[in-house]
Amino acid sequence: MSNIIEVNQLTKKFKIQKNASSLRGLFKPEYKNVTAVDKISFNIKKGERVAFIGPNGAGKSTTLKMLSSILYPTSGTAIVNNLVPWENRHQLAYHIGTVFGQRSQLWYNLPIQDSFALIGKIYNSENISFKRRLSKLVNLFEIRDLLSHPTRSLSLGQRMRCEIVASLLHKPQLLFLDEPTIGLDVTAKEIIRNLIKKQALEEETTLLLTSHDTDDMEKVCERVIIINKGKIIFNDSITSLRDSYLNKKYIEVTTDSGEKFRKEINTKKTSAKKAIDELVQKYHVTDLTIENPPMEEIIKEIYSRD
Amino acid sequence: MAAKLKKYLKLFLFIQKNNLKTAFISKSDALTNIFIMVINNLSFVFMWWILFQHKGSINGWGFGDMAILFAVGNNAFGFFAVFARGVQQIPEYIDNGNLDNFLVYPQNSLFLISTSESSFASWGDFITGFLLFFISGYVSWLNFGIMLFCSFLGAILMYSIRLLVSSMAFFISDSQRLGDNIFISFITFSCQPASIFTGWYKIIFLTILPAGLLSLCPVNLIKNFYWYEFVYFILAIAFFFTISIIAYKSGLKRYSSGNRFGVR
Repeated sequence: MSNIIEVNQLTKKFKIQKNASSLRGLFKPEYKNVTAVDKISFNIKKGERVAFIGPNGAGKSTTLKMLSSILYPTSGTAIVNNLVPWENRHQLAYHIGTVFGQRSQLWYNLPIQDSFALIGKIYNSENISFKRRLSKLVNLFEIRDLLSHPTRSLSLGQRMRCEIVASLLHKPQLLFLDEPTIGLDVTAKEIIRNLIKKQALEEETTLLLTSHDTDDMEKVCERVIIINKGKIIFNDSITSLRDSYLNKKYIEVTTDSGEKFRKEINTKKTSAKKAIDELVQKYHVTDLTIENPPMEEIIKEIYSRD
Repeated sequence: MAAKLKKYLKLFLFIQKNNLKTAFISKSDALTNIFIMVINNLSFVFMWWILFQHKGSINGWGFGDMAILFAVGNNAFGFFAVFARGVQQIPEYIDNGNLDNFLVYPQNSLFLISTSESSFASWGDFITGFLLFFISGYVSWLNFGIMLFCSFLGAILMYSIRLLVSSMAFFISDSQRLGDNIFISFITFSCQPASIFTGWYKIIFLTILPAGLLSLCPVNLIKNFYWYEFVYFILAIAFFFTISIIAYKSGLKRYSSGNRFGVR
C-alpha cells in the first residue's frame, strides 16, 4: 500500500523573546530559538492508524499542525496525500479532517445541525450528497438527539462526538486527531475511542492521533510513534511496544478504612487476576483501579534500554 | 473568477444568515442593542449640533457637512461591524490558537475570519447613517449614491486599518489592546470636521494617518465633485487594503499557534 504521509527531516523552531517581561526587553529584545520538532522522518501508509505519543511539550501537536498546513516548518519536507501541506493549503483541506480536543470548530450558540450545514457549505458539498453523508455519520456516532441542541449545552463527550462528525463531513482520507479524549471521563473516552476506530475501519480512513494517554493508542491504533523533546524515539507496532514496555501495570486498592495500597506487576510474570486475588485476600477492598505506567515512565525506560 | 466570486457570495450570505440566527437567540436583547446604538450615536451628533448653533461654522463647515461626515462614518462602521467584524478577533484567535480552525478549511482564511463575527447592534449605525443623510440638507439621488459608495469604501478603509493593527499580533504578543487603541484613535480622528486640518496636518491625515480620507473626501465629493479627488479616494483605500493583506499574509508565515483552552 502506498504512503499517504512522507516526512523527511522535518524541523520546527520557535523564536522566543527571553526578556519579554522586562523593560529592557522593550528596547533591546533578546531572542532564543526553541526546537519543538527536531529533524523527524517517518512514513504512514494509506489506511493505517498511527498514534503519535509523547509527554507535554514533546512536539506532537506542532508536527500535526505542520502536516495539516497550519504551521510552516523551519526546514525539512513533508508530503501529505501527494501535496506539500503549507504550499497547497486549500487543495489539501479537501482530503484531511482535523479534530483538536482543546478547541471547537462548532459555533457556540448555534444548534449543531446549523454548524454542520455551515461546514458543509465551506467544503462546497452538494446538498443531496451532504445530507446522505450527514445522515450516515449521525447514525454511526449516535448524535441524532443532539442535532437541535446548541454547542454550549453539550457535555464534553457529546461535543467531541459532534466535533469528529464535523471533521468527517467532507469524507477525508486522512484524519488528524489532536488529544481527542482530553478532559473526558473514562466512559466517554471509551465511547470516543470505539467510534473513531469503527469509522476508520469502515471507511478505511488513515488516522494520526496524538495523545499522552497510552490507552488511546492501544485501543485505536496499530502503530505507534513516540516523540520526546522533538525527536522520534520509537516507531513500531503497538504489539512490539506492548511486548517491550507495556507489560507493567499498577494495581491500586482502597480499603474500607480509606487507606490506599499500590502494587506494581509485570504481566509477563504475574497475571493481573493473581495479583488482585492476593490484594483482596490481604485487605478489605472497597475500590480497585488498574493503570498503565505513565508516558514519562515508558519514555524513561526506552531511553534506559537504548 | 466569476464562478469563484459567486461561490464566495453564496457562502457569505449563508454565514450572515447564521450570524443573524445567533443574534436572534435573544430578540429583545438584539433590538434593545440597536436602539441604544442609535441613541448613543445621535447624542454625539447632538453635541455637534449645539456647537454649530452657537458657532455657525468651523472653517466653512456647517452642521450639514458634519451630518454627511457622520452619515458616511456610521454607515461605513455599520458595514464593517455587521459584515466583517471578525477581523478584530485575530489577536485573540492567535493567542488561543483558534486561528487553526480557519486555516484547515478549503476557503480563504481571512474571509472566514472576517465573517466569523457580526455586531448586530451595528444595524443601529445604518439607521443613524441614513437618518443623518436625510437631515443633512444635501438630499438628492446622486448624493445618496455618492454617500453609499463612500460608506462602502470607508468600510474597506476601516477594515484595512483594523486588519493592519490586528496583524501586529503575529509579530508582537499581547497586542490586542494596542491594536484597539490605534483603531479607536483612527475612528476618533475620522469624526472631526476635516476643515480643522490644514497644511501639513491635512497631508498627514490624507496619507500616513488616513483618517482624513473618511472625514474629508466624502463631504468634498458631495459638495463639489472632482474626479481627481474621487480617483485619489479610491486609490488610497486600495493602497491601504493591499498593504493590510500583505501584512496578514506575512504574519501568517510567522504564526505559531497558541494553546489556550476554549471554544469559538
